[in-house]
Amino acid sequence: MKEDKKKGSGKGWIGGVIFFAGFIPALILGWVVFPSVLFSQKPQPMNFSHVAHQDSTCEDCHSLREDGTYTGIPDLDKCIECHESPMGSTEDERILVEDYIQQNKPIPWKAYSWQPDNVYFSHAPHKGAEMQCTTCHRDVTQETTLPAYYENRITGYSKGTMQMVDCEKCHAERNVSNECELCHK
Amino acid sequence: MNFARRAFLQFTAGAVGGTLLSPLPWKLADDSAIWSQNWSWRPSPERGHVTSVPTTCLLCDSGCGIKVHLVNGNRAIYIEGNEDHPVNKGGVCPIAAAGLQFFYAPYRIPGPLKQTKQRGDIAGFQPISWPDAINDLSGKLSSLRAEGRPQAVACIASDRRSSLDELLQRFLAAFGSPNFYKMPSHSDSTRLAAALMLGQNAPLAFSVENAATILSFGANLIEGWGSTCRMQAAYRRWQGTPGKTTRIIQVESRCSLTAAKADAWIPVAPGTEAALAMAIAHVMIKEKMIDAESISNNVFGFSDWVDATGRTRMGFRTLALAPENSPEEVAKITGVDARKIRELAKEFAAQPSALAVWGSNYGNTPDNIYHDAVFLALNVLKGNVKPGGLVGVAPHVPLAAMPDADLDPIAVAGLGRQRLDLAQSKGVPFHGSGIYGFLDAVSTGAGYPIDILMVSESNPAHSLPENSLFLNAIQKVGTLVSFSSYMDETAALSDLILPNHSMFERFDDVIGIPGAPYGYYAVAVPVQPPRLSTKHTGEVILELGKAIGGTIGAALAWESYEAYLQERVNGLAASGEGTVADQAGLDPAAISTGQVLQTNYEDGPDLWKKLTSGQPWVSAPIDPLNGIETLSGRIELAFQRLLETGGASIDEKGILPHFAPLAPSGDASQFPLLLVTYQQLNLASGFHPNPPFLNKTVFDSILKGKDILVQINPETGRSTGLKEGDAVILSTPQAEAHVRVHLTPTARPGVVYMIHGLGHKAYDEYIQDKGVNANSLIEVQMDPVTGLGTVWATRAQLRRA
Repeated sequence: MKEDKKKGSGKGWIGGVIFFAGFIPALILGWVVFPSVLFSQKPQPMNFSHVAHQDSTCEDCHSLREDGTYTGIPDLDKCIECHESPMGSTEDERILVEDYIQQNKPIPWKAYSWQPDNVYFSHAPHKGAEMQCTTCHRDVTQETTLPAYYENRITGYSKGTMQMVDCEKCHAERNVSNECELCHK
Repeated sequence: MNFARRAFLQFTAGAVGGTLLSPLPWKLADDSAIWSQNWSWRPSPERGHVTSVPTTCLLCDSGCGIKVHLVNGNRAIYIEGNEDHPVNKGGVCPIAAAGLQFFYAPYRIPGPLKQTKQRGDIAGFQPISWPDAINDLSGKLSSLRAEGRPQAVACIASDRRSSLDELLQRFLAAFGSPNFYKMPSHSDSTRLAAALMLGQNAPLAFSVENAATILSFGANLIEGWGSTCRMQAAYRRWQGTPGKTTRIIQVESRCSLTAAKADAWIPVAPGTEAALAMAIAHVMIKEKMIDAESISNNVFGFSDWVDATGRTRMGFRTLALAPENSPEEVAKITGVDARKIRELAKEFAAQPSALAVWGSNYGNTPDNIYHDAVFLALNVLKGNVKPGGLVGVAPHVPLAAMPDADLDPIAVAGLGRQRLDLAQSKGVPFHGSGIYGFLDAVSTGAGYPIDILMVSESNPAHSLPENSLFLNAIQKVGTLVSFSSYMDETAALSDLILPNHSMFERFDDVIGIPGAPYGYYAVAVPVQPPRLSTKHTGEVILELGKAIGGTIGAALAWESYEAYLQERVNGLAASGEGTVADQAGLDPAAISTGQVLQTNYEDGPDLWKKLTSGQPWVSAPIDPLNGIETLSGRIELAFQRLLETGGASIDEKGILPHFAPLAPSGDASQFPLLLVTYQQLNLASGFHPNPPFLNKTVFDSILKGKDILVQINPETGRSTGLKEGDAVILSTPQAEAHVRVHLTPTARPGVVYMIHGLGHKAYDEYIQDKGVNANSLIEVQMDPVTGLGTVWATRAQLRRA
C-alpha cells in the first residue's frame, strides 16, 4: 500500500498540474472570454468629433439650465443652431442633416454614463462643489472619434456607467451623505 | 479514491478557484440584481427637459390650479397642484393626481364616430371625417328648422359653470329651442332658496375659512363638498395652532370620513337633519339666543304678519316654537336626545362665529327646498347673513355679456314653445330648470317629441341619479349625440359621437368656485397639442352655426373658441373689477366685503395673458343685503313670492322653512330598510370614471374582486341574519342588485349605505364590471315646490342571494 498512493494523481506534481489545468482556463475564461462575450459593441448613430467643435466652449452645449437641470447630451435643437444646412462634407454630417435634422428626429445617442430611472442624479450640486468634469467623465477635449460603446448583454447597461459604489466612495471621502433617499427618491 | 475521480475533483477545484478569482461570478450576481432595471417593456417616459405648464383643472367644478409636467415640451407625465394658486395652494385631489390616466386612456375616442348598426353595439361604430360629421348633424338640425320644429333639439350639459355651457345655450336660443338642461347639482336648489329668502338667484357662499365653529348637517366637508381643494386648504387652516382651532360638528347618519375627522359626530336618522335644525332654532328663539338686532333690521316674516288680503300669517318664530319642533318631539324623529339638541343649540348660539352648512351625503343633487331654507334660516337667526358675515351669495363674474342673438321667425316660434320640463309640472309654484322633468316628459311623450339630444361633458346614462329615467327617455329620442372624449355609457348608446378634446388639449374656463364668497374666474389652457383627431366642442358649435347659417351663424360668428373666450375676458377687463391673484400672499378668504382690489391688468389682452399663465381672477365678496329683490326688500323667512306663485295650494307652513320630508315610495313592510348613498374622494362618480390608480386605493370593505359591498350595522346584520361578506340581493322599488354586505359600526342600524361610482359598463376592462351602479337603485323624488329631482333615501330590502 505504501507504493500505491504515489501512483497517478496521487503524485503531488500531477495533482498540481490537473489543478492548474482547471485553474488557468477558468481564470482566462473569467478575465478574458467573459468580458468580451458579456459586452456587445453597439454603434453610435454617427461619429461626433469634439475636436472639430473646439470653436464652441464646453458650456455652449453642456450646461446647467436656469431651473437647475443639466442639459446632458444636447437636444437636436442645439445641433440645428449651426447645422441647419451642412457646414462641411463629411458622411457623418450628412447623416446628421438628412436623417435627423430634416426629419426632426431626435438623435438616439448611446450615453456612456447612462443611469437608470431609479437613480436620481443632479449635476447641480456636483458643479456647485466645483468638481472637474473629468473626475467622472472621459476627457473629450482631444477626441476626434467617439469611443466604442459597449453594452452589457444581460443588463443593457453601458460598460462605462458608474456603479453605486463609485458614487458612495467619493461621497464618503468628502463627508457627503450616503443616505438612500438622496439618490433613490 | 481512484485516479479518475481524484483528477476530476482536482480539476474542478482548480476551475472553481479560478472562477472565483475572476470577475465572472461576481459580475453575474451583480448583473442579475440589476437586470430588471432595463427591461424593454418597463413603461418609462422619454428622457429630456421637464418643464411645467400651469393651468386649471376641469375634472370637476372646483376650479383648482394645477401644474402639468411635460418632457421635452410634448409629453405630459405628471400633475401636481400649483403652489402659487391662492385657493388650493398646491393641493390637488386624488382624481386630478391620477388625471393623466384619462388623457392617455385606451377608451379615448380617436375621432368622430357614427353608429351604423343597433344603438349600443360598440362594434357598429364607424369612423367618419369631421366634415362629414358636421354635415350629418347640421343637416339633421337644418331639416328640423325646415319642418318648423326647432324646439325638438335639446342639450344636456355638465353641472360645471363654464363659457362652453353659455355658448351651447346661445346656440339653442338662436336655433329656436328652449330645451337646455344641466346635470343636477345641489346649487340648483340652494339658488332657489336664495331667491326665495334673499331675493337673489345666485349660488350661496360660505366663509368656511373664517368660522370658529362649523355645524355641518350632512355636508361631506373634506370629501368633495363645494370646491374640493378649497375645503382641503380650509381644513389645514382649521387645524390652526393649538388652542386656536376650528371646531367641526358633523351631523350625519353615517360616520363618514368627515365625521371621523370632526370634533363631534352627531348620528341622526337619515333625512332628519332639517328637523334637528328646526329644534335648534326652537331652542335659540326660546332662550333668546338669536341675533335680535339683525333680525329686526333685516328680516321679514320672523314674527307673525298680515298679508295683502288682511289675513294674519304665521311667522317663522311661531312655527319654530311650536311643540312639533321642540327638542323632545324632534328627538323622536332624529334619534338625537333632547339634552344633546339643547347643548348643540347653545353652543351654536354662543360661539361668536358659528356657521351652519349642509348637503346630503352624496352632495351632488338638489335638496328639498324647504330643508335648504331651514338651514339658511338657522344662519339668519345667528346673524350670519350680513356684509362680512359667514353666509352670503356669490358675486356675479362680469364677463362680457353677449349681445342678444338675432332671432328669425322660426327661432321665435320655437322659443315660444313651453320648455319641455314644464310640460308635466302643473302647479309647481317656483320652478327650477329640471332635467328630470325633461326626461319624464320625453319618456311619456308629453309636450312635443325630441328629435336630437346632445350631451356635453356629462354621462347621464351612468351618473344621473335614477339613471333608468335617462335610459328610458332616449328610446324616444331620434338622434343621440355625444361630445364625450371617452367611450362612456352615454357615448356607447349614441348615434353620433363628436369627441371633445380632453382637458389638457383645450381652452376652457371655470366661472366661480362653488360655495366661495369671493368672485372667481380661471382659464384652462392646452398643455399639449391634441393627441387624437378630436375637436373642441365649442369649435364644433361654431362650425355647426356656420353650416346652418342665417341668424344662427351670425349669433356664433367667432373665429375660434379661443376668440370667443378672449371676447368674454375683454368684458371682465372692461369692468375694472377684481384683480389677478398673482401676488404671493393674496388670500381670497381674507378679502373683505366690498373691498376695492387694486386692478393689475391693463386691458383684455393683458388680462388674457395673465389668466393663461395659470393665475385666477378674484373679486371681493358682496353684501348679501344689497339688492335683495324680495317683495319686502328684506330677507324673507316667510316667502311672499311663493304665496304669489303658489296661491291656494300653499298651506300655512308652506311659505316658511320647515321639516318636510318627501316620502320614499314602496311599502315599508316589504322594504324595511333605507338605502342611503355616499361618495368618497378616491372613487370618482361624476363625468369621469374612477381611474385605475384610484381603483387600487378602494378598500376591500367597499369593493372586493368584482363585488361591491354595502355597509350595514352589525345590529342590522343580526336582525336580517346576515354575516360579514354574505352575498345578498339588495332590492329597492327601482331595481335589484347582487351585492355583498360589510358589517361596520359606522353604519346606522336600519340603513344600508352604498357608494357611488361603481357599476360601469363601458370604457374598458379596467373600469367596467366592478360592483353595481348606485344610481340604478336609488329613487329621485320630485320636490313639489321646485320640480327639481331630490335624492335623500330609498326604501330597501336585503335578502340572502
